[in-house]
Amino acid sequence: MLHRRIYQFFIVYFLGIGLLFGIKLVLGLSDYVIPGPSNLWNTATAEWYRYLGDVLNTFTVAVVGQVLSIIIALTVGVVGRKATWFGSFIKVAAYNVQAYPIVAIAPILFILLGDGYLTRLFIAAMICYFPLLLSVIGIMGEPVADIEHFYRITGRLRWQLEVKIRAFENLYKLTTVISGSATLAMAGTIVAEFIAANAGIGYSIRIALYQSDLSKILVALFMIGITLSFYQGVLEMLGTSLKKSWAGK
Amino acid sequence: MKKIRITIRIAVWVVLLFLCNLWIPGGKVFAEEQIVYRLKWLINASTAGDVFASSQGFFSREKLNVEVKAGGPERDAIRELELGYAQFGVASADQVIRALSKGARVKVLAQLFQVNPLQWIYRADAFTLTRPMDLAGKTIGITYGGNDETIMRALLASAGMDETQVVLAGVRYDYTPFFQNKVPIWPVYRNTQGILLSDKLKAGEERVSFFNPAEHGVRFVANSVVTSKKMMDQAPETVRRFTKALLAGWEAAMMPANETNVIRALTVHDRDTSKPVMRSQLAATRLMIQSNPDIPIGTIDTEAWRQTEQIMARQGLIPGPINVVDHLNPDSGL
Repeated sequence: MLHRRIYQFFIVYFLGIGLLFGIKLVLGLSDYVIPGPSNLWNTATAEWYRYLGDVLNTFTVAVVGQVLSIIIALTVGVVGRKATWFGSFIKVAAYNVQAYPIVAIAPILFILLGDGYLTRLFIAAMICYFPLLLSVIGIMGEPVADIEHFYRITGRLRWQLEVKIRAFENLYKLTTVISGSATLAMAGTIVAEFIAANAGIGYSIRIALYQSDLSKILVALFMIGITLSFYQGVLEMLGTSLKKSWAGK
Repeated sequence: MKKIRITIRIAVWVVLLFLCNLWIPGGKVFAEEQIVYRLKWLINASTAGDVFASSQGFFSREKLNVEVKAGGPERDAIRELELGYAQFGVASADQVIRALSKGARVKVLAQLFQVNPLQWIYRADAFTLTRPMDLAGKTIGITYGGNDETIMRALLASAGMDETQVVLAGVRYDYTPFFQNKVPIWPVYRNTQGILLSDKLKAGEERVSFFNPAEHGVRFVANSVVTSKKMMDQAPETVRRFTKALLAGWEAAMMPANETNVIRALTVHDRDTSKPVMRSQLAATRLMIQSNPDIPIGTIDTEAWRQTEQIMARQGLIPGPINVVDHLNPDSGL
C-alpha cells in the first residue's frame, strides 16, 4: 500500500515535469520561465537537504494541526448534532468561520498569536477541520434507527452511547475522511507558512517566488509530495490494520 | 424557389455581418496597435506616469492601444513578455538581472525611478540613523528573498559590518510588528507605504525618519521599463513610439500643475487611498522619478545597474557576471 502510494506519486510528478519540459521545448522558453533539466537537477542537489528539513518542520505542524482539527470537528459535530438552538448556533458559527478567507483572518491572528508556530497550527487546523466537520455532522446527525431504537425504548440511550453507536456504524467513512484530511492539513500548514510564518516549506516557497525561481518551487513540490504520499500510505496501513483487528474481535 | 430564398437569406446575413463589422467601435482599435503593458505592482502613486499616459491619450497619439495591467506579487512582467502575454512591462533591476542570468532575452528601455524608493522607516524620537554603523544592535525588518534583503546585506557588507551585529527579522505586508515596536526599523516604499505609515504615526504624535541606503553608497536600481529582445528586433518602431509616449506621460504626470488630473486618473484604480495622501505620495514620487531636473525622466543610470549586478553576484544571487549594461537600451525612446 505504501509503495503503491509512492510510485503513483512519482508517476504524477514526473508526468507534470515532463509536460513542463515539453512546453519549454516547444515554445523555446528560457530557464527563467521554466527551468531546464540540468537547472532543476542542480537546484535539487543544492537544496534538497534544506528543503527536507523545511518539509519535516511543516509536516510536524500538519500532524498536530490534523489531530487538533479532528478534536475540534468531533466536538463541534457531537455538540451540533442535535436540532437544538445551541446545536444550530455551533453549526452556524463553524460554517461562518470557514467562509472567511484565511488571508483576511491572518492579520487578526498575527495580533493575537504572533507570526510563529501557533498561527501556523491554527490556520492549518482551520483549513483542515471543515471537511471533517461536515462528515462528522453528517454521521452524528443520522440516527442508526435499528440499534438506537432498542436503547431508547429501554431508556438507556445516553448521548455518549448514541455517539459511540453512530461512530462505530460509520467507521469506514470516518477513517477515510481522516486519512484524506492529511492532505488538507499539509496544504493548510503550507498556506499558513506562506502568509504567516518564518519557517517551513511554505515560507521557502514564498522566498523562491520572490526570487522568481521556479526550479526551487518544483523541488519543494517534490519534497511535499513524497512526504505526503508516505504519510497517507502510513495512515491507510494503520486504518487497514485497525479494521482487521476489530474484525478479528 | 426554396433555394433562391435560402441564398437571399445567406446574402442578407453576410451583408449584416459586414455592416456590424463596420459599425463596431473597434474600427478605431483596428487602426491602432494592440499592446499589453504589465506593471510590477498594484496601481498607486508609483505608477502615476503609466496610468496618466494611458488616460490622457499619450499612447493613442502614437497610434498605440495600450492596456495597462496592474501587477502584483504573483505577476512577473518578464515571464509575460516571453510567453507573449505582454509586449512591455515594468520589472525591478534584480528581476531583470536574474532573468538574464537564466537566459531570458530581455531589454531595458527606461529606468523610471532614479532613486530607489525602498527605504527603512523608524521612529525619529527613539534613535537616529545617520550612518550604517548606527544599525548595530538593532532589529531590522527585511523580506527574505526580496530586494530589501539584498540591499540591506549589501549595505552591511559595504560598511564592513558583520550580520551578527544586527538582528534581521523577516517581515511581510502586515505592519503590526512595527506598530508594536518589535521591529523598529521597517522596510517600506518611501513614496507610498512610507507616507501612509508616517501619517499614522503622526496621528499618534510620533515622528518618523527614513534610512536611505543610496545615501550610504548602495545604489540598487528599482523599477524599469522592459521589453523582449524579439520585440526590439521585430518592431523597433513600436518600441520607440511606446517608450516615447510613456516617458511623455511620466513627464506630464510629474508636473505639479497636472496633480489634480493625475489624482483623478489614479483614483479610478485606487479607490482606497485618500486624495490628501495621494498628493503627498505624488510629491514624494516626483523626487524619486526626477531627482535631478537636468536628467531627463527615464534615463538609465548605467553605473547603478553595474553596481546592482555586482551586489547580486557578490551575494551569490546570480551564478556569474552577465554584463547587464549590454542589455540596456538608453536611446530607445528618448
